[in-house]
Amino acid sequence: MLTTLLQNVINALQWGSFYSMIALGYCLVYGVLRLINFAHGDIFMVAAYIGFVFVGFLLKFMPGSGMYGWLVLAITLPVTMILTSMLGVFIERVAYRPLREKGAHRLYVVITALMVGLVLENGNLAIFGASSRKFPEIIDKVVFTFAGVRITNLKVLVIVTAIVIFIFLQTVVNRSKIGMAMRAISYDKFGIPLMGIPVNRVVVFTFIVGSSLAAIAGVLFGMSYPVLDPYMGMIIGWKAFIAAVVGGIGDIKGAFLGGFMLGFIEILIVSFFSSNLKDLIAFTILLIILVIKPTGFFGVAKSTKI
Amino acid sequence: MLEVKDLKVRYGNIEALHGISFTVNKGEIVTLIGSNGAGKTTTLLSLSRLPKPEAPTVVSGDIIYNGESLLKTPPHEIVSKKKIALVPEGRHIFGNLTVNENLEIATYALEKGVDVKAGYDQVYSLFPRLYERRKQRSESLSGGEQQMLAVGRALMCGADFIMLDEPSMGLAPVLVQDMFKAMKVMNESGMTILLIEQNARIALQFAHRGYVINTGEIVATGTGAELMEDPEVKKAYLGG
Repeated sequence: MLTTLLQNVINALQWGSFYSMIALGYCLVYGVLRLINFAHGDIFMVAAYIGFVFVGFLLKFMPGSGMYGWLVLAITLPVTMILTSMLGVFIERVAYRPLREKGAHRLYVVITALMVGLVLENGNLAIFGASSRKFPEIIDKVVFTFAGVRITNLKVLVIVTAIVIFIFLQTVVNRSKIGMAMRAISYDKFGIPLMGIPVNRVVVFTFIVGSSLAAIAGVLFGMSYPVLDPYMGMIIGWKAFIAAVVGGIGDIKGAFLGGFMLGFIEILIVSFFSSNLKDLIAFTILLIILVIKPTGFFGVAKSTKI
Repeated sequence: MLEVKDLKVRYGNIEALHGISFTVNKGEIVTLIGSNGAGKTTTLLSLSRLPKPEAPTVVSGDIIYNGESLLKTPPHEIVSKKKIALVPEGRHIFGNLTVNENLEIATYALEKGVDVKAGYDQVYSLFPRLYERRKQRSESLSGGEQQMLAVGRALMCGADFIMLDEPSMGLAPVLVQDMFKAMKVMNESGMTILLIEQNARIALQFAHRGYVINTGEIVATGTGAELMEDPEVKKAYLGG
């Protein structure tokens, strides 16, 4: 009984890690631009594909096992982060910034974000076709067993990565210059150029960080659940977004914990009910939380954005 | 130092300034007075070069600063390169940051090697209240303290030209006096100031020169003392 419970906790932590990493990307962009970047889930999907293509390329030159497997991962991660960041910055430049500079209402920007997501999904469909792709296995699976609870090295990697990302983001936002500018812009965008700081520099930095997080999540997700398809980012992106809102969007801690909360709720439901009921019950619970506390679980009434 | 030449600006299709001209010389305090909606804030926002929708679009005319046009200068360079700071209406302090962080963020665009410590010393000696509250979230400050912080930030930017938009707004009379005295101290240490006020009496009292603006046009100009004695100005802005 206890073993089963602990096993579920491990699984919940792993899923929560994925939700959190994606939710943090939503949270950063929302905090800085007040934009719900609905394309973020699809950026995650593209990142998984970039990782897939790049790993395939590397495996032509080196074996995907043992130390080499880790080397492949160590090269793939930064490359995917850079390419995905370029995509994120490109999207901001061609789709969001022109609207911002014309003073468009937020509604139009959100709709644009939805359309960007659809373009990414269908662009992917055009390139890779409808059949799903299999992410190659690069890390030799190692299973650790503690008191009957099994945990793979990959799960450990996922969970540790999510926590490291969270600590890193907290440090950047609270201790660095650009982080302070991000906090400031979330409170008052008008005041930023008055301090001599170019607004667009803060925005581009935010998209680089957010897209890099999606890239890490995409590669790790591909390694954990190796079947890739063009729509994989949609549902997980929505879920992560909802998790961020329920946690308290605009607050890094809120988005991070919201992701884990969703992970735990889902896994607990699956362990007691049929998995068909997972999303129904999970989102009913989240709905109730939001109705009771519209600012989100960890959110504050206003002001403390990112 | 600053020369505004026949400046026409519009918001959308509505012309807000119909060709105004004025100058501010180095070391002066110059005030623009006028009633609500006369175009005072519009003038400052035009000078700040902030983008739409916050600021209007320049239709014609020019803004010359130290011999160069500002029309093509992006807003952050108005501060970081031209050293012109705006203390906007509504203050726009960053309420989620502490007082000290608000001052710190104003130093980010400074060149390397600028003595930041001297800036803090100057601000905190000018406004000792801010020093007492330096670790507080700035949204917890009173209106007067927030105004001090907004002025302090402009000083931290390394500006030698400060534009103040209604510093007296919403402040108790004693605080208004304090604010204007602080402005005088800044001016005596070399700061050039362009001041916008609805409170014409105090503005003219402190300013070297003034312009009266009405529905997007300059209608009178003179030294502070002259405008105080002008019968039209008396009637319209000083309550008879």
